[in-house]
Amino acid sequence: MADSVLSPLGGRAAPPAPEATVQLIVFQLAGEDYGIRIEQVREVTITPEVARMPKTPAFIKGIVNLRGDIIAVIDLEERFGLVKTARPLPERSYTVAVEAADYTIGLAVREVPRPLRIPAAAIEAAPEFLQDSGQRERYLEGIAKLPDGSVIIVLDMRKLLTATEILRLPN
Amino acid sequence: MNKRILIVDDSFYMRTMLKNMLTDAGYEVVGEAANGQQALEMAASTAPDLITLDVILPDNTGLDVLRGLRQQSPNAKVVMCSAVGQEVIVNEAIENGALAYIVKPFSEERVLEIVGSALRGDAA
Amino acid sequence: MTAREQEYRELFMAEALEYYESMSRHLSELERTPDDVPALNELFRLMHNLKSNARAMGHTAIGEVAHSLETVFGLIRDRERAFAGPLVAVVFTGLDELGAMIRAVGADQPLPDAAALLDNLARVARGDEPVLPAPAPADAEAPAEEDARKLELSDLVYIQVRKLDKLLNLVGELVIDRDRILTLAEEIGHPALQATARHLFRISDDLQYSVMDVRLVGVGVLLNKFPRVVRDVATAEGKEVELSLGGQDVQIDRNVLQIMTDALLHLVRNGVSHGLEAPAEREAAGKPRVGQLRLLALTERDDVLIEVADDGPGIDTEAVRRKAVERGLATAELAATLDEQAVWAFLFEPGFSTAAQVTDISGRGVGLDVVKRALDSLGGQLRIASVLGQGTSFTLVLPTSIAVKGALLVELDGRPYAVPLLHTDTVLALRPDEFSVVGGLLLAHVQGQAVPVVPLRELLHAEGTEALPAADKTLLQGPQQVLVVNYNHRRLGLLVDQFLRQQNIVVKALSKPLDAIDLFGGVTLLGSGQVCLVLDVPALTRLFVARRA
Repeated sequence: MADSVLSPLGGRAAPPAPEATVQLIVFQLAGEDYGIRIEQVREVTITPEVARMPKTPAFIKGIVNLRGDIIAVIDLEERFGLVKTARPLPERSYTVAVEAADYTIGLAVREVPRPLRIPAAAIEAAPEFLQDSGQRERYLEGIAKLPDGSVIIVLDMRKLLTATEILRLPN
Repeated sequence: MNKRILIVDDSFYMRTMLKNMLTDAGYEVVGEAANGQQALEMAASTAPDLITLDVILPDNTGLDVLRGLRQQSPNAKVVMCSAVGQEVIVNEAIENGALAYIVKPFSEERVLEIVGSALRGDAA
Repeated sequence: MTAREQEYRELFMAEALEYYESMSRHLSELERTPDDVPALNELFRLMHNLKSNARAMGHTAIGEVAHSLETVFGLIRDRERAFAGPLVAVVFTGLDELGAMIRAVGADQPLPDAAALLDNLARVARGDEPVLPAPAPADAEAPAEEDARKLELSDLVYIQVRKLDKLLNLVGELVIDRDRILTLAEEIGHPALQATARHLFRISDDLQYSVMDVRLVGVGVLLNKFPRVVRDVATAEGKEVELSLGGQDVQIDRNVLQIMTDALLHLVRNGVSHGLEAPAEREAAGKPRVGQLRLLALTERDDVLIEVADDGPGIDTEAVRRKAVERGLATAELAATLDEQAVWAFLFEPGFSTAAQVTDISGRGVGLDVVKRALDSLGGQLRIASVLGQGTSFTLVLPTSIAVKGALLVELDGRPYAVPLLHTDTVLALRPDEFSVVGGLLLAHVQGQAVPVVPLRELLHAEGTEALPAADKTLLQGPQQVLVVNYNHRRLGLLVDQFLRQQNIVVKALSKPLDAIDLFGGVTLLGSGQVCLVLDVPALTRLFVARRA
């Protein structure tokens, strides 16, 4: 059984701030910061043993046993075409388990994900021309600009997680 | 295609009995609602051909639910379920668009006869 | 008492006690706040339900008391009477007596007499003074008082099937770990550990059977829906049918029955529309005008059989054989060699239909393959018996429970795969020279029959629709492990790296989006916590047939 690295539900009790805030789970893909709203995340764990599943695209790394539930684990870097070729997961990786309407799926990432609270106003809608260009851009909720000038790409899991979308091969 | 029926009654016992009678007769019971709120929601989501509606419900009177249903799901036929002694309410229900009524305690024959004729569009 | 009467009785009791307790609570509220309108409305509604349900159950005495109390609550609500004075005492007594009557029904005891109470209720309804007993000395009344105030909780709980599914899955996983522990204990050889492991074995066995038992329902809940179905189909088709039902009390897992619902519906409709002749035709054949259709459930060892039998014309084996060739399901040469069981199996292939006339009921392109698919998903089987001119029977062989399945674990490329025993025929270790290659197909000879053999690796990794590569015997090195599987009278050999062991597994369905891949019937967790894919033999067989060179 995988150890829980952090509990995303821990921040739930925070009182409503005068300024609306959004809590994100932030992780890195190909050197860039990506975020998912914490409501869409079930848990973050060290990736358990992955069983490769025949008849699936390479970006689906396989299936894992997450507390008795069997879920698929995918590599978003490959799915988004951020890397040129498929490669195995490193010895130690982390899985962000995200909830779709009726199933859970794991996103494998290489660095430890971290929670981050930002003002809701910091998320700007993605420019429209971006939304219908690439693989990744189709699933954007927006782009968060932080005071220190860095940027977080906020993904909308509900757009990503339709079953047909997830199985579609990157280009 | 089997006719689709929504049962509205606050008694689980009553719903089970109605459901058994109707499914045995080949109808499809698409939902069971225990109060007015559920009745309106389920009528909207299941689009039944017919609704059996108890006259006394917890959060609303059956009549208010009836009016809501007639407005929201005008194609669904409504049959009221009542006990002896509620003729006043039943008459008002008929004026508000209910097609027929079943008096509790009911026999299987009577229920099927009334539901059948309401679905065919005969006067009950 | 029939199962349904028993169910109604239990529901009535559970709900009546619940109503009684709620009403007691609301009555106390009313005593504190006599103009508490919501409490009054609830009292009126609950009493009304109790009255209706009691009358429906035939408990007229309860119905009468409830009716009188409902009337009084109605009058208070309509402000014609006030909840004050002697009326309060009468209503409280009334509710207590009602509670006693409900409990008496539950305990199968005679109901207390309510004449005096009914008289008092009628009096307060009219606005007359009730006849109240002189207050008795406090200690003399105490035991009766105590008895009437006993708190009652229902003996029944309602459980969602989803929760039972979860429980069953957990038990299944427990059983797997138990087996693992038992094995380890034997290996370690510590006597106390071995004894404890055996005890654990017995307890978890008991637990497993108890959980399976909770999920059982009578097959009757499904069979009893068929008289109406048969009547409708018979009317639409101009047939005369007498339906007989049997074995309604045979117990089966609720989900197994649920999965088979459509299949059974299909078999029964098919039985009327194709399985029975029109009345005139029957008379011409010297049979009674009215056709017989029988729906019978029975148990056989751990399985439940559901039989759908007719006394119709029987299956025309040669017509099915011709049709199978026309439809490209078999070559003429192959078809000629098949025995009648193998020919009948074609009836359950997708799109197969021999009815010359497409009827309104079962001719709309949906064939008996629905039945086969449902059976496959449960690991069930189909038996067919037919005598030309006399009738046909289809028997569904179903597992009583879906908890555990026997499976053979095999290894391929370092990973375990489970193959349900239901579809495994035999295992062989063969030298390369024991195989032959015919038409690009690798063949093994099993009990005098040539069985096609394919490396499992190739089936699992074949992409798209291209044909499998032609077999090359020279690529085989050393002894070959062959697992012969069997589906719908077809045998297929699968080359695997090694056989691991046979064990009971609990199959979990694959979750989205991976459920779209039909080669796997699900996954199971091994004692080590390792994830193991369960191969779907029907799907593998179909893939092999579609892709063979």
